[in-house]
Amino acid sequence: MEEEPLTFWAAHRFFLLVLGTIVISIALVCVSLVIYTTSGAIQLDLSRPGYQSVSGHVIRSDPVDGYSASGPVTTETVNEFTALFATEAEKAKAVDAFNGDPLNPEVLEFGQSSASAE
Amino acid sequence: MKNKFNHIVIAIVAVGMISLAGWHTVSAQATLTNEQRSQIVSNCVTIKNSLNQLHATDALLRVNRGQVYESMASKLMETFNARLANNGRDVQGLELVTSSYRSTLTNFRNHYQEYDRQLTDTINIDCSENPDEFHASVLDSREKRSIVHEDVKKLHRFIDDYQSAIDDYILNDASLRESN
Repeated sequence: MEEEPLTFWAAHRFFLLVLGTIVISIALVCVSLVIYTTSGAIQLDLSRPGYQSVSGHVIRSDPVDGYSASGPVTTETVNEFTALFATEAEKAKAVDAFNGDPLNPEVLEFGQSSASAE
Repeated sequence: MKNKFNHIVIAIVAVGMISLAGWHTVSAQATLTNEQRSQIVSNCVTIKNSLNQLHATDALLRVNRGQVYESMASKLMETFNARLANNGRDVQGLELVTSSYRSTLTNFRNHYQEYDRQLTDTINIDCSENPDEFHASVLDSREKRSIVHEDVKKLHRFIDDYQSAIDDYILNDASLRESN
């Protein structure tokens, strides 16, 4: 009895399996890269090229001491919270982030153009 | 009827004048003299280096300050509100400040994203080839950075507001006031 010849798909099923796996992986990588870019995670990733000079300065420990959401509300616990909040608030407000005007054309050595910009 | 028509005409004229004023400001900002243009071209490498440095330090600032601002909300404000609510206290005033703080924090993140994208675009412009486009882009980045700074100032104000709200809360709560 003569064997039936294999169809194209049956003959190349292993190759198709590998190809399908690669295509799915590429699609998933593309999706994750889109999420990485659009979610803003990319801007928090200081391991990117060009950020090595500052990546060592990231504060890795928790910057704020927490307060428990459970427990009684008494004068002591409220006072404890107000003292903690005052300390942390002071730390949070200590840095006036993004102040100054480093993009002022004059600062960037553009010459007189700052006058027209203001 | 005639009165209504007059109002419409006045509104159209006002919108037109405002648009013209806005267009004039933008074009004035983007206009460079030949001398300024040549300064940008000759200082292109230095300017690009400064922008790259600023980009990196601002990214670090965003990461560190963002962490602090997030923790202020999630570890202090929200947990204290939750404790009061769990004890059946009225936390409307505190929650109002917390939600304003939260929405400002969201704005801070979004505005920083916009600023970062704009600054990246600016850095990618070849200032030796397109000084005008580069200059306009720098001014755009400058404006977006100032918006981020406004958000930071607002966050600091809400932190103060929350502190005042706690003081008010203690003053208005008989049980806490008496023991104090």
